Amino acid sequence: MSHFFRLVHNENIKIYKRMGTWVMIGILILVVALVGIFTKFVLDPGSNADWKAQLSAENAQLTESLESAPMLEAQKRLLKERIALNEYRIEHDVEPIKRDSLWGYMVDATTFTGIAALFTIVIAAGMVASEFSWGTVKLLLIRPVSRTKILLAKYASTLLFALLMLLLLFSTSFLFGILFFGFGGAETPYLSYSNGRVIEQNMVTHIIELFGFRSIDLIMMVTLAFMISTVFRSSSLAIGISLFLMFTGPQLVQLLSQYDWAKYILFANTDLQQYTTGTPLVEGMTMTFSIVMLLIYFALFAFLSLYIFKKRDVAA
Amino acid sequence: MKKPIVEIKNLKKVIGDKTIIHGISMEVFPGEVFGFLGPNGAGKTTTIRMMVGLMGITEGQVLFNGFSIEKNFEKAISHVGGIIENPEMYKFLSGYDNLLQYARMVPVPVKKERINEIVKLVGLEKRIHEKVKGYSLGMRQRLGLAQALLHSPSLLILDEPTNGLDPAGIREIRTYIRKIAHEEGIAVFVSSHMLSEMQLMCDRIGIIQEGHLVSVESVGDFVGDKVNTVIEVEPIEKARAFVEKTLPELNPKINGNELLVSASREKVPALVKALAENEFNIYKISSGNKTLEEKFLEMTEGK
Repeated sequence: MSHFFRLVHNENIKIYKRMGTWVMIGILILVVALVGIFTKFVLDPGSNADWKAQLSAENAQLTESLESAPMLEAQKRLLKERIALNEYRIEHDVEPIKRDSLWGYMVDATTFTGIAALFTIVIAAGMVASEFSWGTVKLLLIRPVSRTKILLAKYASTLLFALLMLLLLFSTSFLFGILFFGFGGAETPYLSYSNGRVIEQNMVTHIIELFGFRSIDLIMMVTLAFMISTVFRSSSLAIGISLFLMFTGPQLVQLLSQYDWAKYILFANTDLQQYTTGTPLVEGMTMTFSIVMLLIYFALFAFLSLYIFKKRDVAA
Repeated sequence: MKKPIVEIKNLKKVIGDKTIIHGISMEVFPGEVFGFLGPNGAGKTTTIRMMVGLMGITEGQVLFNGFSIEKNFEKAISHVGGIIENPEMYKFLSGYDNLLQYARMVPVPVKKERINEIVKLVGLEKRIHEKVKGYSLGMRQRLGLAQALLHSPSLLILDEPTNGLDPAGIREIRTYIRKIAHEEGIAVFVSSHMLSEMQLMCDRIGIIQEGHLVSVESVGDFVGDKVNTVIEVEPIEKARAFVEKTLPELNPKINGNELLVSASREKVPALVKALAENEFNIYKISSGNKTLEEKFLEMTEGK
């Protein structure tokens, strides 16, 4: 085993030998199960028999608003795509995904990356701060290991925990999905629109893609929590600030979206789906711009954590 | 002369505009127990934290076996095992799992046999697999010692190792420390504000006061062979004058109704005889070694 791998192993032991971690894992599984039960037994799926008629009615309405109401170029494009997709469904007899089906439920479950993010933030917030509050930092930092390596091992373990949460979310929603809704409609493709054409896509790929998009937000918030934990040595502060920003950030950017500088705010860039299936928050933003902004924020968080952790005088 | 394990050269620490440590220099050699003595707030812990890299060094150098703690941290610290203040452990892990944590952090992991050997040495084999949560302070100190010895360091740095221990625990730690130093040739650098403790444990002692290293001496020199003798004698003024005249090297002083002299042991009978022959009334006489405590107070009060 390489030295760095052993350091990560150490950090993992500190995460998984604590009760709190297992409570969080339990809650995640429970929430996924409860939503499955709710979808199956409580939610009225509505009749889907005449979905073709519904879609043509929707298209008629969309076409009308497209012609009459003034709107932005991006919004127009979005409506046109929607109409094209609906037409494709009617033409090729591809039924829309129902919520009470395996795929519908799994797509719903991807929104729980929010819970995965919340729990990972709790872990990240404790990574460095707890060593200080436990007093163990004094023994940790007098080992023949540089502070940089220790911090990297801690960050790597945090990301591994995030990955575990996502895998758990994916696999439990798949298992509960089969359990509650069976394999019915498993061959239904996902339709996407690209370069003026509708294409059929594998549903599993689409769900993994959704997880991918949502993980960006997760990674940024977790890195922010990790940084605050390192800089202020307080896990409650790290959890508080990160959660507050995670919940209010997107609304804040929405409010400020009329100003051009809003596009430099972190939260304007964490949702990359705005470029694939939505409209950019501030006009003129592009995927490349957002990725560059994300990388800049990430580098800033990483630099602050490392610099302060390396320089810090450990007293008391 | 043996090569020193620890070389501290003109070590300084400035925090804000306050100088906490004013240029300390000292050396520690293999097989010796070096006591670092000073009142609370003198800068002991700050010095130790700088030595092990927990705090930045403002000026000067700390070398372990020639490796600088600042420039070559990983090499330098691998020669060192330490307990900094109370040994805080991961309470949700067993004692053994705690040791495994530290065993994995050494570039070449410590073998299981070595861990077991150390556990036995500190006498924790019966409860090593219990969670640290349930350990007494004494057991935690012992686990702390085990943690420090795990990677066979050539230097042990112990910051107040007997803090909060009962007398039996203190004696146990003391015995370990002397054994480790004298039998295995490990240098031990131990800080304390407990003077009597240091006297029993150390070979050499450095005294720090307000960030200055006041003196470094061997315990023998420190305590000395001078005997402090207290004589209750009448008339006291005359007696003092008499002693001053006949035996001026005894440096007589009056303290209440007692005469204080500092004489080597063999001089005491002659002094008593002289006093008796000159019609002084002697009511009581007592003498004892000058303790480290007295010496220490003498030294630090003069400042």
